Amino acid sequence: MGEQQRWRGGAKITIALMKTNTPAGKSTSQVLYGMSPDELNKFWLALVFQGKAAAPYFFNSAAELEAFVAQNPGAIGILDQVAANDQIKTILVEGKKL
Amino acid sequence: MFLTLKTKIWLTVLSIVLMFTFFTLYYFPDQRGKLLIKNYSNEVQNLANSVALGVKIAIREQNFEGVQTAMEFVKGDPRLKFVSMLQIDTVWNDNHTGYKIKSSVFKTFPENEHPSPTVSSSDSIIVKQAPFITPVMSGSILLAFNTKEIVDSQKKVRETSLIVSGIVFLIGIILGFWLARTISVPVLALRNAANRVGKGDLTQRIKKPGKDEIGELGRAFNRMIEDLSLTRKELDESNISLSAANNSLSNTLSELKSAQAQLIQSEKLASLGELTAGIAHEIQNPLNFVNNFSELNTELINEMKNELANGNAQEAKMIADGIKENEQKINYHGKRADSIVKGMLQHSRKSSGQKEPTDINALADEYLRLSYHGLRAKDKSFNATMKTDFDETIGKVNVIPQDMGRVLLNLFNNAFYAASLSSKGGFKEQEPTVLVSTKKINGNIEVSVKDNGNGIPQKILDKIFQPFFTTKPTGEGTGLGLSLAYDIIKAHGGNLKVKTKEGEGSEFIIQLPII
Repeated sequence: MGEQQRWRGGAKITIALMKTNTPAGKSTSQVLYGMSPDELNKFWLALVFQGKAAAPYFFNSAAELEAFVAQNPGAIGILDQVAANDQIKTILVEGKKL
Repeated sequence: MFLTLKTKIWLTVLSIVLMFTFFTLYYFPDQRGKLLIKNYSNEVQNLANSVALGVKIAIREQNFEGVQTAMEFVKGDPRLKFVSMLQIDTVWNDNHTGYKIKSSVFKTFPENEHPSPTVSSSDSIIVKQAPFITPVMSGSILLAFNTKEIVDSQKKVRETSLIVSGIVFLIGIILGFWLARTISVPVLALRNAANRVGKGDLTQRIKKPGKDEIGELGRAFNRMIEDLSLTRKELDESNISLSAANNSLSNTLSELKSAQAQLIQSEKLASLGELTAGIAHEIQNPLNFVNNFSELNTELINEMKNELANGNAQEAKMIADGIKENEQKINYHGKRADSIVKGMLQHSRKSSGQKEPTDINALADEYLRLSYHGLRAKDKSFNATMKTDFDETIGKVNVIPQDMGRVLLNLFNNAFYAASLSSKGGFKEQEPTVLVSTKKINGNIEVSVKDNGNGIPQKILDKIFQPFFTTKPTGEGTGLGLSLAYDIIKAHGGNLKVKTKEGEGSEFIIQLPII
């Protein structure tokens, strides 16, 4: 949610999300953030303007998101399915897929 | 209100300068300032629109860093006061009965500025808003630029205008002086010179006239004065010669008046001579009888003495009867002469110059006979027929008998002269006749004297009443008769007219009012 800026190892946390106009983006904002997509955008805009967090990176497809996470150490992406890329570590949220 | 030329020039120059100053000091800077503000406002509005567009695109693309970048688009502009992003929400009112629009500042740069969402333009800043609407949020970009640059520009414009106005004012003053010197001064000099010329000083000249129109006027003035001097000189000379001629004429007039008086006297004497001749004839006739009968009686007395001496008493008695009869005739004719003289004396005594009721018929008859016998006395060969046609109803007319007698005598003499001249000329075989008639017409008395002479030629008809005009040979007429007659009739309030036809005779008509 932006409260924590770095991992314990010191790497900067970079968040990767699906764009809110994609089904995965919508479900992410609703399930994970508990907000509508627009509320999520406004939330992030406020955080950015307040200098509390860096803005997330938004992607149109899961493949682009997976590629970004694989190439940027410390990056964390949220998808509604298990990543096909073996270079990415997948964590289930609340024991289920989103 | 009277304004001098100099005042008018100065008023014109000052009006132009003041109008120019108004334009340069007020109108032009004001318009310039308004234009600057308008352009500046447009520029700020365009920048606000650009920022709003950038913000809108960035939000739609979920590029939140880009939103900040868009707002910082104007960051480097030195005129920037602040740029804010306003969030506009529709929210419930306090009672949850309706909605209201709520504006709140979402983000401002620089961060030390804290503008109100309702801030507006003032003298120091220009504020423009550009709205943007996205699904995420709706709001507007509030962009404020300070106006220092415009104020500085306006100040510069005013300073420049002030300097230009000062220069124009200075030029106006110089122009005013120059115009006054080149127009007013020469015109005033011309006026003063004209005034002096008007008072008779013809030595006035315009000194060193310029090359412009006023200079030409000055030269024309100088020429005019020179011509005037020349004309006056000629006039003076003419006056001198005229004065001499006038004196000469005056002398001549005096001599003429003297001659006129003499001529009038001659005319009077001529009239008197004619009258005397008539009177003499009138008296001569009875005197002839007296003389003849007294001579006859002397002879009869001698015869009677002889008869008595011879003892013829009967014859002597018959002669005595004859003597007695002659004596009666002598007495009759003596009384007749006495009556004529008394009548003349009566007229001469009444020469008072006062009007009195006069029997015009009797006066005309008497003077007709006097005229006839007067002419007969002068010329034994003269003969003419007198005819009269008197209106007995005209009564007495108020005239001066002496003067009216002179008029009638003159007309009768002229009529006999014209009639006899025609007869002598042999143009007509007719007896010279003069007809005198009187009648009453429309409250006037008309006395007509008509002759059967040759008439008066048309070309001299309008001259016959002029003094000294005569057609008679030298020595026979003075030319004053008809002129005096005309004056006398006019003095009586009457009129003297003439009708004539060449070859048939003339008719003079006296019209007198019955008073």
